[in-house]
Amino acid sequence: MTTDAIVQTNELHKHFGSIHAVDGVNLSVRRGEIYGLLGPNGSGKTTLIRLLLGLLRPTSGTIRLLGEAVPNKDILGQVGYMTQASALYEELSVRENVAFFAEMCGRQDRAWMDEVIQLVDLQDRSRSPVRTLSGGLRQRTSLACTLAHRPRLLLLDEPTVGVDPQLRATFWSYFRRLADSGITLIVSSHVMDEAERCDRLGFMRQGKLLAEGTAAELRRQRGASTLEEAFLQFAAVGLEGGSR
Amino acid sequence: MSTRRILTLARRVIRQVIRDHRTVALIVFAPLLILTLGAILFRSKPGPIPLGVVNEDRGIASPVGGTIDLGQRVTEELAAGDTFTVVALSGQEVEDRLRDGTVQGAIVFPGEFTAEFLKDRQAVLDLRLEGSNPARSMAISAQVTQAAMRSLASLAGAAMGAPASAQAGEGKLPVMLQATYLFGGEEFDTMDYVAPVYVAFLAMFFVFLLACVAFLRERSQGTMERLAATPATRAEIVLGYMLGLGLFAVIQVAVILFFTVWVLEIHHLGSLGLMLLVIVLLAIVGVDMGILASAFARNEFQVIQFIPLVIIPQVLLAGTFFAVPDLPAYLRPFAYFMPLYYANQALRDVMLKGWGLAEIWPNLAILAGYIGVLVILSALMMRREVA
Repeated sequence: MTTDAIVQTNELHKHFGSIHAVDGVNLSVRRGEIYGLLGPNGSGKTTLIRLLLGLLRPTSGTIRLLGEAVPNKDILGQVGYMTQASALYEELSVRENVAFFAEMCGRQDRAWMDEVIQLVDLQDRSRSPVRTLSGGLRQRTSLACTLAHRPRLLLLDEPTVGVDPQLRATFWSYFRRLADSGITLIVSSHVMDEAERCDRLGFMRQGKLLAEGTAAELRRQRGASTLEEAFLQFAAVGLEGGSR
Repeated sequence: MSTRRILTLARRVIRQVIRDHRTVALIVFAPLLILTLGAILFRSKPGPIPLGVVNEDRGIASPVGGTIDLGQRVTEELAAGDTFTVVALSGQEVEDRLRDGTVQGAIVFPGEFTAEFLKDRQAVLDLRLEGSNPARSMAISAQVTQAAMRSLASLAGAAMGAPASAQAGEGKLPVMLQATYLFGGEEFDTMDYVAPVYVAFLAMFFVFLLACVAFLRERSQGTMERLAATPATRAEIVLGYMLGLGLFAVIQVAVILFFTVWVLEIHHLGSLGLMLLVIVLLAIVGVDMGILASAFARNEFQVIQFIPLVIIPQVLLAGTFFAVPDLPAYLRPFAYFMPLYYANQALRDVMLKGWGLAEIWPNLAILAGYIGVLVILSALMMRREVA
């Protein structure tokens, strides 16, 4: 166990009836790392993220976030969570949404809020009600809300869904800048080309963490030329091993 | 428990509602519209009712000269007010005229009406009613009885052989109807009796819907998930909502109350401030009921379904129009279970009897208790979404 682990889970299980949404996950993410959680829809990525936040109680196993045992409401003030669908208040403006989430986490830093809004390139629309924004602009607002309180850890659940390629590149370069400043990111995705940009990847399937490593390591282990190929091979082996 | 987070949340809720102009208009103006309509309907006086009279009374000779025709006197009394237009009929016509609607009721005075009355000292009025509208039948019966009593009272004085000087003197009639009112008085009308609870119900109803939909939206648009991932606790979220929507409840109640008292000129004996307090408490109960109910609704349509389930039974059972002691015994316990019942009691006590805080505090305490229980239940119900 590394001492600078920002996120640490130990034999984490979450069952919904007979469905094992998360099945014995041991996750360890270090400070300043971008950890990519990769897997198809329904593989348990969202459940894992919700467990990390304490929004779900694990069936068994333990979680430590920023050195504290989960659930712990206080540490959530240092965590930024971006949900899959952009969850925003339609009647409020971009800036009001950002300010609201910042204040709920105990932060009221106007200069930083301006910076965050600038970062997602919404300074011209900051007074527009979210109701009037397109899908891409909403996604950007949603990211701004996630960053508004200067979190130390970001949990981003498929942040680039519905985002055009240009903006996606902007998002990723921004994720890198955050990581360089010491912020830890866990980013879930089912788009393989995004995975190349992560420091480390975890392949998830049917609630299990099948393999972990850098993109290059994972490809090399399976002698695959693409990540996608590597993933499919891991999946095949993993399921074979998993069937009792 | 962080006061700052609660205030932040309340501010956001207020902002959201203000942006929705139509909802603001609904909250403020819809109750006024309903109140005005109610006042007009409760206070409107129907036009004169056509009433047939068959007078076959032969009367008797008066000891002081002339004849006393009691049928004639009652008829004159009936025609005097603006309640009836009297239509003279013959005995055979009565049924046909009732049937074709020319008259809605008919009185038949038989030939020995005056003689019988003087013998028995009791008049039996033969009133025939059209009868398809029970409310109207009751009104006719009541009015006819009153008119008959007035004229019989004067006759009794004249026919009993009392000296003429005494007849002329006032207040000497052997039969006299004098209505006394414990509370209220002749200037009180039905609207005055219904208004207190009408006001309370409107205040509760609109904020209930508002809270229910607002909280439901928080879940359906996914912001509840996001809110749950902040340090805010469930209780803080519920309290924030209560505070934010509570502001609208207070504004609404103030508008309704001032409209009721100054524009509709509803009588109130007790303090206006105390009335405001009771209704605000009830409105906050409404907000909390809305938040709790929203946990059981998946969409806006399901919110509407709470109206017949939660709202209408309260109106029927909590003493709004039907007095609780008159309910069947097996329904009464439900009334005691409803917050509206306690608000109704307190409001009627203040508005109609002029009672003060010293008398009504138990009702207020129960309302406050409801608020506490509902906040706790709402916070517990959120567990289903938020761990």
